[in-house]
Amino acid sequence: MLPKKQTVHTSTKGKKQPAVASLTKGILISLALLFLGFFILMPLIIVFMEAFQKGIELYFLSLTEPDAVSAIKLTLLTAAISVPLNTLFGVVAAWAIAKFEFKGKNILITLIDIPFAVSPVIAGLVFVLLFGSQGVLGPFLEAYDVKIIFAVPGIVLATIFITFPFVVRELIPIMQEQGSEEEEAALSLGANGWQMFFRVTFPNIKWGLLYGVILCNARAMGEFGAVSVVSGHIRGLTNTLPLHVEILYNEYNFTAAFAVASLLALLALVTLVIKSFVEWRTRKAHC
Amino acid sequence: MSISINHVSKTFNGFQALNDIDLQIPSGDFVALLGPSGSGKTTLLRLIAGLEHPNEGTIHFNDLDFTDKTVKERNIGFVFQHYALFKHMTIYENIAFGLKVKPRKLRLSKVEIQKKVHELLELVQLKEVADRYPAQLSGGQRQRIALARALAIEPDVLLLDEPFGALDAKVRQELRLWLRELHEKMNITTVFVTHDQEEALEMADTIVVMDNGKIEQIGTPEQVYQQPTNAFVYSFLGRVNEFRGDALERNGLEDDAIGYLRPHEVVLNKKAFPNSYPVKVNHVHKVGAAVRIELKRLDTDHLIEAEMSAEKFRETGPFQKGELLYANFNRMVIFQGETARSAPFAEKIITNVN
Repeated sequence: MLPKKQTVHTSTKGKKQPAVASLTKGILISLALLFLGFFILMPLIIVFMEAFQKGIELYFLSLTEPDAVSAIKLTLLTAAISVPLNTLFGVVAAWAIAKFEFKGKNILITLIDIPFAVSPVIAGLVFVLLFGSQGVLGPFLEAYDVKIIFAVPGIVLATIFITFPFVVRELIPIMQEQGSEEEEAALSLGANGWQMFFRVTFPNIKWGLLYGVILCNARAMGEFGAVSVVSGHIRGLTNTLPLHVEILYNEYNFTAAFAVASLLALLALVTLVIKSFVEWRTRKAHC
Repeated sequence: MSISINHVSKTFNGFQALNDIDLQIPSGDFVALLGPSGSGKTTLLRLIAGLEHPNEGTIHFNDLDFTDKTVKERNIGFVFQHYALFKHMTIYENIAFGLKVKPRKLRLSKVEIQKKVHELLELVQLKEVADRYPAQLSGGQRQRIALARALAIEPDVLLLDEPFGALDAKVRQELRLWLRELHEKMNITTVFVTHDQEEALEMADTIVVMDNGKIEQIGTPEQVYQQPTNAFVYSFLGRVNEFRGDALERNGLEDDAIGYLRPHEVVLNKKAFPNSYPVKVNHVHKVGAAVRIELKRLDTDHLIEAEMSAEKFRETGPFQKGELLYANFNRMVIFQGETARSAPFAEKIITNVN
């Protein structure tokens, strides 16, 4: 073991570090970087390399062909419905959990985590069992000619289910930490419920909320398992981007598959940039 | 505005926070709710504010039943222990909040709001901080802004929850005087919660001593200090030496009898005198106008605190650490009965303990 005096000095900048400590540090950092490079950075680079392998022209052609465009549209539509809904539910549920005491609160918190705990394929299957033609509500839906499974509504439902916890999970700790004093102060000053929410609660949670929304959106656009079960893979109709990538890949159309995949990778990169910006803002807001 | 609280009880998840509270607060009074933590004083304040609602009983403002009215309808000013300033707003915006959320018909014009906020900033002597954020102010400044914000809506009742609890001793002292002055100037019915008996004695016109969800005594500072109705009030207001068990020589007293003696009522002498007990000086604190002496009884090993003026200390003493002295506890007040803690003062026996 190192003498105490020396270990104290290792933390001070500019002082010479003991050889053992600096060696350990070097090994650990290079191990982490190597791992990261091999498992994360390399695949990402390969996606883009493969996508552009046969030239930019073909790249854009694979993104603009009708099936790809319809997959992009469906993905955007799914996200446009599920993200706002989950944002709304998320705020309501987080509010209820953080600011009120009620019976069954722990059960509610556990229920919120189910989409994280359950395999997405199972989640998809549940919807098939519920709304499919052999399902519990199947005959009823058929009688009114409503199609959910193997159609757009099923995809949206499955996505909402999968992405539900992101916003709530992000908001609960923030709201609990802030307590209710500021809200009570607003009420005592004569604010009504809406004024209290938009002038006091919302400004306090906005960065956390945005963080949750970004993660929710990334997952909504990228979800594969649950959507794959309920979609039916009908080209040009019920294919989202991840499903489209799979189909192209299975047809050995690698360039097109990677071109579409590069879109998702790009989405991930943009998400990360916004995420780190939000994290930076949140840290600033807390100082 | 006068406040009348009638037979109010409040339970939280089976915990009885308040039990059959009756309290009349005349208009313009300055009331302290004083008690240890868990005595229900903050709950009572929040019930008056409408932040909680009673399970039983009614609350009247000016003889009108306000029990089921919301916070908004009560027109109260509430100052929170941790200020609860809006972090993302400037000080100006914080104070203007109550004026800006009013329905359009009742709202002042922008210019009038501006004028009013500046008047309030002047009142709390913090004109220069208007454009700053709460995080940039000191604790004492934040508390004054919280008060200005509460006063902006011209409340009929001002309610303060441990207003100086989070401040250091010097700032606390300044703010006490300042709040007292402010009350004299504005004459708003004011209720504040505190666990600090000194604060209550110094500021309030009326003190409500609470314990275990009940009111133990209501009175002026002099009344509760000099004529406490029971042992709890006696021991809670001011420093006391407690005598029980073998520390108390019981002549016909019951087993659960408790004796209390204020430190300044311990008589000390270098020589033995009637009814005196030998004690050893453990420590002498000489800072301030009063000298505090820690003593140990040689017969029972109990620790006792005595207090005397610096002048008296010089006359009879001065005593040194380790010195042997004689003390007499003749002015001890003894409470006994089924529950000595709440036995009425009328049963007190002032006795020679020998």
